[in-house]
Amino acid sequence: MTPALTVTSMTKTFGGQRALNDVSLSVEPGEIRALVGQNGCGKSTLIKILAGFHLPDAGSAEVGGAPLTLGNATSSEAVGLRFVHQDLGLVANLDTVDNLALGMGYPSFKGAIRWTNERKRAREALKALGYDFDVRLPVGSLAMSERTAVAIARALSVSGAEPKLLILDEPTANLPAVEAERLYQLIHRVSSTGLAVLFVSHHFDEVFELAESVTVLRDGAHVVTRPVEGLTEPELVELVIGRTLEEFHHDAAAAERGAVVLEANDISGGRIRGLTFSVHAGEIVGVAGITGSGREDVAGMVFGGVWREGEIRMEGKHLHRMRPDVSMAMGMGLVPAERHANAAFMASTLRENVTLVEPGRHVRGWVLRQRSERTDVSAWLEKLDVRPRDTEFNMAQLSGGNQQKVVMARWLRKEPRLLILDEPTQGVDVGAKADIHGLVDEAAGLGTAVLVTSTDHEELVRLCHRVLVLRRGRLVDELHGGKLTSEAITAATIGRDLNVEPDQTAPTATRSRQ
Amino acid sequence: MTVNDQAADSVTAEAPEESAAKAPRKRRINLGMDRFSGLYVWAALIVIFGLWVPNLFLTAINARIVAGAEAITAIVALGLIVPVAAGAFDLSIGGTVGLSVCVVMWFQSEGKSWVLGVFACLLIGLLVGALNSFVVVKLRVDSFIATLGMSSILIAATYWVTGGSQIVNGVSPSFLLLGQKLILGLPLPVYYMVVIAVVLWWLLEYTPVGRYLYAVGGNPQAARLAGVRVDRVTTGAFMLSGLVAAFAGVVLAAQLGQASPDVGSSYLLPAFSAVFLGATQIRPGRVNVLGTLIAIFLLATGVKGLQLVGTPSYVKDLFNGLALIIAVALAARTARRRA
Repeated sequence: MTPALTVTSMTKTFGGQRALNDVSLSVEPGEIRALVGQNGCGKSTLIKILAGFHLPDAGSAEVGGAPLTLGNATSSEAVGLRFVHQDLGLVANLDTVDNLALGMGYPSFKGAIRWTNERKRAREALKALGYDFDVRLPVGSLAMSERTAVAIARALSVSGAEPKLLILDEPTANLPAVEAERLYQLIHRVSSTGLAVLFVSHHFDEVFELAESVTVLRDGAHVVTRPVEGLTEPELVELVIGRTLEEFHHDAAAAERGAVVLEANDISGGRIRGLTFSVHAGEIVGVAGITGSGREDVAGMVFGGVWREGEIRMEGKHLHRMRPDVSMAMGMGLVPAERHANAAFMASTLRENVTLVEPGRHVRGWVLRQRSERTDVSAWLEKLDVRPRDTEFNMAQLSGGNQQKVVMARWLRKEPRLLILDEPTQGVDVGAKADIHGLVDEAAGLGTAVLVTSTDHEELVRLCHRVLVLRRGRLVDELHGGKLTSEAITAATIGRDLNVEPDQTAPTATRSRQ
Repeated sequence: MTVNDQAADSVTAEAPEESAAKAPRKRRINLGMDRFSGLYVWAALIVIFGLWVPNLFLTAINARIVAGAEAITAIVALGLIVPVAAGAFDLSIGGTVGLSVCVVMWFQSEGKSWVLGVFACLLIGLLVGALNSFVVVKLRVDSFIATLGMSSILIAATYWVTGGSQIVNGVSPSFLLLGQKLILGLPLPVYYMVVIAVVLWWLLEYTPVGRYLYAVGGNPQAARLAGVRVDRVTTGAFMLSGLVAAFAGVVLAAQLGQASPDVGSSYLLPAFSAVFLGATQIRPGRVNVLGTLIAIFLLATGVKGLQLVGTPSYVKDLFNGLALIIAVALAARTARRRA
């Protein structure tokens, strides 16, 4: 059988740096292939070459036996390549019909759009993917996996040759477990029609649950392509980063309890209802919950970035204002989720990004001394292993993982007594993730209280002394010690194990009602 | 920390030379055309017009006229940098200049001290800034709309003060010195410009406030979560641009020796052109003091040269309009390149 995609000796150099070095691979029709590697390993470069966005220095590609004209977006569509990007590219306030029309126009248009026909067509396109929902709702109000379905339906309905290969970028990033499951079914359904699927992923659970085979890239070079069967997660991690990660576990019993740093008494706001918990000095407390459980509101509410009711105390002192600067003055620091929107200053230098919190430290005699700033920031970049290690680079020139490290540096430099981390390793590759985890451990070791909210349950297990589990805005469970496993967190977040009333299984649940 | 150390080792072992070699090479290219192209263009303009009309263009008096006339535009533009750095437009600066010119002259025509008039103007400038920021910060109106409305209100106020006619009588000679006295061959406004430029340059580049301004302009949400008082920074920015525009009005009044109600509006567009063209210089992608000054004198030299060559007077507006559009297009391109 002709492969759906053959890439031969693809090479691409950016300003002297090899982004892709003689990479060859092929994907069979109906195959589901994962493409993995750290940030900067060349996977996005490869995808962008296939999409016609970059012109490679050398190499060729064939789609279903037909040669792909490189450096031309129209050509990749014409030969049957289809792309769904991570942000899906949907317009949130338009409905499914209109979003599909962004891909193929309105085929029924003859002087006027026949909406009945268009809606029928949209429903059929979704039904083919195993979805059935009201196509007249704005896509912004749909569940995440439904939105992905719309984006896939649109990609597949683009006019041009019959689709041969569907390329997905991080299809289940930030998707709660249940919805990810639906998406897996969708992708299996699509591939059973003979369409090949190639997806880029940072989430290894996704690789193991979805892919039949996996291609690993490292430093622009092809490392291996092999079936997923028989591969273990540690092996895959090792292939991706080229070294073994040490197993790391917190001894919960040994976690010495310092003084109480943060007390949250009966706080409500957003989706949170009556949440009570505390964090001690040197303790790392995690918060888990599916999207919509209130997990995503905790960090902002504690920090005062989002409106809340109830009482927050920092080292005994009542924090009654909802103002980040006041919270900071009382010793809090927040590394927010969604770096682009909430933390990074893309057009500013790394130096300015780091010293924005307390630039006054470098003021001497009315002047902010840039040399002293540079020394200070370089030491942090060194410590966090940010690359490139140049304080005068712009934030936009860094990869996601390095940007996140810069944001971490901003707050570690401030030495807060409570460090709040909201999705600290979102969109960060394995190597940088391990580094960031190491930094969190170190901060806690020095007596900082740490509050981590994350959708990555492995991360919570790796980092935390105990994990609070939220469901429907309430605290339903608290896991620590031997009970703290990724499976237990997942089960608790979706309430799978609850054949008894939640109040009885979870001793902490009653606390939230007080 | 073993995990972290390992990461550091393996990562540095992989590609240290590449990143080290890449950085300086990139920097060297930037030093040339990217950051100082304006200076080259300026030099080229001087050479071109100098060869074209040497007896008119390359004269001390011409240099003095350009410097003196542009000093006021430059002061207005310098004030405008501050709100633009914080991500807000201030379209009311033209109106503030106009009102300020009329108020300071009105004080004198009423027989009151011009010193009092100057203070009244500066106070009005601060007040206009405070009102702008109230509408933007508290009422959450987009700065473009808020200050556009304000500029119309200011024009109304100007007509109210002057009764629609020029103010020419009662001007104190000592007041005129403020705008017309020459020191070392250059009119006093040039020195005001230099002082304001130095102060704003210090404020924007060498104080925490400058960092906060650019942070708010770059990403207000992130700035807020990093503890920056976004509302306060915005308010300060508007008040500063109002204050500087009012001062520019006072100097303009002293230079002209008379007040007509529509004098301010012609300062708005050149100021915007200069600020945005300035953002392509020195620190590409960011509005800055030095770039703005270069842009002002680049534009002024171009306009003056064209006038001396014999082009009609409307060429000034044409030149400024084109410069604004081209500058923003260039800035957008720089931003795309760097992203």
